[in-house]
Amino acid sequence: MAMRDLITGATSCPDPAASSSSSANPLGALANALIGSSSKTNERLKEIPTSTPTDPSSHPPPPSHFLPGSEFDKPLLDPSSHGSHFLNGFRSAAAPGGGALEETWDEIQRDARIPPQLDGGLYDRAGPPPHLQQPTLDGPPQRVLSNFLHSFLDSSRGGVPFHPAPLPMLGLSEGDKQCIRDRSSIMARHLFADKSEEFIDAQVNALLSSLDIDSNVRGKGPMPERFRELEDYWNESQGNLRLGPHPADGWITEYSQNRANLDNPDSWANSFQQQHGANGWVSEFENSQLSSMDQMHAMNMPNLAAMEQTRMLANTLAQNNDPKFQNSKFLQFVSKMSRGELIIDDNQVKETAPGDWATEYQQQYNPGHSWAGEFLNDKVSHGPDQWVSEFNDQQHGPIDDQWVNEFSKLHVGDWADEFGQQVAEGAFGESSSDNWAQAYDEYLNEQVAAKQQSDSSRGVYVFSDLNPYVGHPNPLKEGQDLFRKGLLSEAVLALEAEVLKNPENAEGWRLLGIAHAENDDDQQAIAAMMRAQEADPTNLEVLLALGVSHTNELEQTAALKYLYGWLRHHPKYGSLAPPELADSLYYADVARLFNEAAEMSPDDADVHIVLGVMYNLSREYDKAIASFQRALKLKPQDYSLWNKLGATQANSVQSADAISAYQQALDLKPNYVRAWANMGISYANQGMYDESIRYYVRALAMNPKADNAWQYLRISLSCASRNDMLEACDSRNLDLLQKEFPLQ
Amino acid sequence: MASESANLKSDAILDQMKHHLSTEAGKEIVKKTGLVYEFHIAPEKIGDNEVIYTVDLKKGKVTKGPYEGGKPDATFSFKDDDFVNIVLGKMNPQLAFMRGTIKIKGSLSAAQKFSPNIFPKPAKM
Repeated sequence: MAMRDLITGATSCPDPAASSSSSANPLGALANALIGSSSKTNERLKEIPTSTPTDPSSHPPPPSHFLPGSEFDKPLLDPSSHGSHFLNGFRSAAAPGGGALEETWDEIQRDARIPPQLDGGLYDRAGPPPHLQQPTLDGPPQRVLSNFLHSFLDSSRGGVPFHPAPLPMLGLSEGDKQCIRDRSSIMARHLFADKSEEFIDAQVNALLSSLDIDSNVRGKGPMPERFRELEDYWNESQGNLRLGPHPADGWITEYSQNRANLDNPDSWANSFQQQHGANGWVSEFENSQLSSMDQMHAMNMPNLAAMEQTRMLANTLAQNNDPKFQNSKFLQFVSKMSRGELIIDDNQVKETAPGDWATEYQQQYNPGHSWAGEFLNDKVSHGPDQWVSEFNDQQHGPIDDQWVNEFSKLHVGDWADEFGQQVAEGAFGESSSDNWAQAYDEYLNEQVAAKQQSDSSRGVYVFSDLNPYVGHPNPLKEGQDLFRKGLLSEAVLALEAEVLKNPENAEGWRLLGIAHAENDDDQQAIAAMMRAQEADPTNLEVLLALGVSHTNELEQTAALKYLYGWLRHHPKYGSLAPPELADSLYYADVARLFNEAAEMSPDDADVHIVLGVMYNLSREYDKAIASFQRALKLKPQDYSLWNKLGATQANSVQSADAISAYQQALDLKPNYVRAWANMGISYANQGMYDESIRYYVRALAMNPKADNAWQYLRISLSCASRNDMLEACDSRNLDLLQKEFPLQ
Repeated sequence: MASESANLKSDAILDQMKHHLSTEAGKEIVKKTGLVYEFHIAPEKIGDNEVIYTVDLKKGKVTKGPYEGGKPDATFSFKDDDFVNIVLGKMNPQLAFMRGTIKIKGSLSAAQKFSPNIFPKPAKM
């Protein structure tokens, strides 16, 4: 829970007061300071090196643009918080023994908050006062450093480029250097906000070189405690993403760069989003969680914990009641994410709810608490009334009209009563406090599926990580052997190694596609087969396989296209298929052509197979069954054909027949995952849920990546009232499931 | 029946449901549910070019078109893909509702009884 600690500064539940005032909490302080900090007082303004005629006791006049940024403007959140918290946080994170450094920074910070009159005075001068040009380089290191840094600041005010100067050894530790480097970068960007990037860099480099700090190397030495946590966590979450080395401070620096133009409390969130696009760290984190979920099913617990963190993060950030903070896009973003209103699609985060009634509602009433959670937890008996009256009060508020209208038509009172009653009776069937966490878990599960779906449906094949066959001398042959032996998942890996080596190998892709189909993964099957088709556009087996997979996925137009392609490229029947037809395929026409072909060659099993698939498309199941049976007479050992027959029978609700056909297929190929899964489906469709569970588990034991089977298993468990095993299912705990549901 | 390219994926699912309801298992569902649902399924965007199906789990019938015998207990509006995903268990209907992915009208308790569990699953060739 490193991230949460950083945000809340505590391991217990966050407390608004604590998080806003905690100085041991850099990110929290930062967030508070930048989003909602107030105008600074000058109480700590001490002697300023430059002598200027100002009454230090007067308040700094408003728009102070000396240092851009709203932390000096409107008091937003907590009038007592200070901008120095910004650096306080960093300071406390500094390496131990950096006391001297901290004090120096204190001074600098105070100096930096000079109101414009003073500054105006300075800029009138022709040059900085003489005593600025030569910082005293004598004295204890701390003093030297302090003066040196002062002079850096002064030069900035004077608009004079800073001159590097040789300094005596200051005995700065790596941690100190790191701090100086980072803070000076930030500071410089503040000071020289109106100057060019090169100027800023030059200044900073001048400063750093004088101090003998390498401006590029990020501290390899011991990092400050908090930074390390953040860095570790960040790196962990970056696991699958190939970002450049982004040390924890990176985004802070970048943020500072962008602050110049923004004087609005949302700027922090906005600029952050601008920097990173819709993929803020939150969604990057989630993305990495998603991709890591693909591989690490057994490690679901840490991922669930991570999801939990995100929720807690949202809750924490939402603790603050200030509406401006609430409205900040960042908070909305995180809230939406934790509530499942966002979808990650095409690696973009997109909102799905056109009217954010949920968000708005939440903001109106229960910042930081999911309304249903609270409702369920605390107010079951009084809930309906309260909610209804609140709702009625707010009917004229800024809530999505459509939602309001729909619900107002439904006699909200009744609805809410029913709802309350149902909840009281436990209609949801789960413990209320877990309900939303569970829903969120499911949401994340869905996103995994959706992500894979979106990748594969774009024809993007998803390679496995950690492939032991990469580097194998002849992975194709290996793959073929494994396939023959029935080790489908292993064959997949070997074949992936092959196509990584030879991306144009049509046979490699084709076999890979077939292996996936037999492993009950049509998405990957399609992706692989599309590559095979690219490599060899006339291959009949590929075209048929694509037709089958698309039929399975109910993609009727695409399926028809591929089946027609089979006909067109067939040496014997190609003449039957006019190419112009391909542009406007009507099922009826294509079916007719296939029948012609069948008449031409009644003993060609393949024609009958393709016809069988065609009839599945049109749901003329009897004809399909007849075609497959004819083909089977010609090819009785074709296990895939038996499965096709079985599937056709199953879909025409002849489940008993289907099961016999599947059994034939399994006799011929015992590791035929698809057939095992189909068995499960046929039992489930007959209401024989207990049996179906066993078959699903068996299928999953052979291919734990068969997502469809996991979903069906879950449904069967629920139908069989085996809710005790739902958790095992969600966490993909095959060991437990196999123990509980063996197949005799 | 001939399929044109304008057909919905949901057609296949609802067709299977229709036949399913006359089996033993289907009759069980009818006994347990006893409600009438209307599904408005749109190919791309909810509300556009909708096809309406009535799934009568009182009589065990699936018909195209709105419910003729009165008012349905609950009416759902989906996108084609989303309906399929819900039936196949890939999408949680409660979450979908919260997100606005599906729209519901009518009795909440009736709506809650709609779950992937009542639908037969398609087998794969």
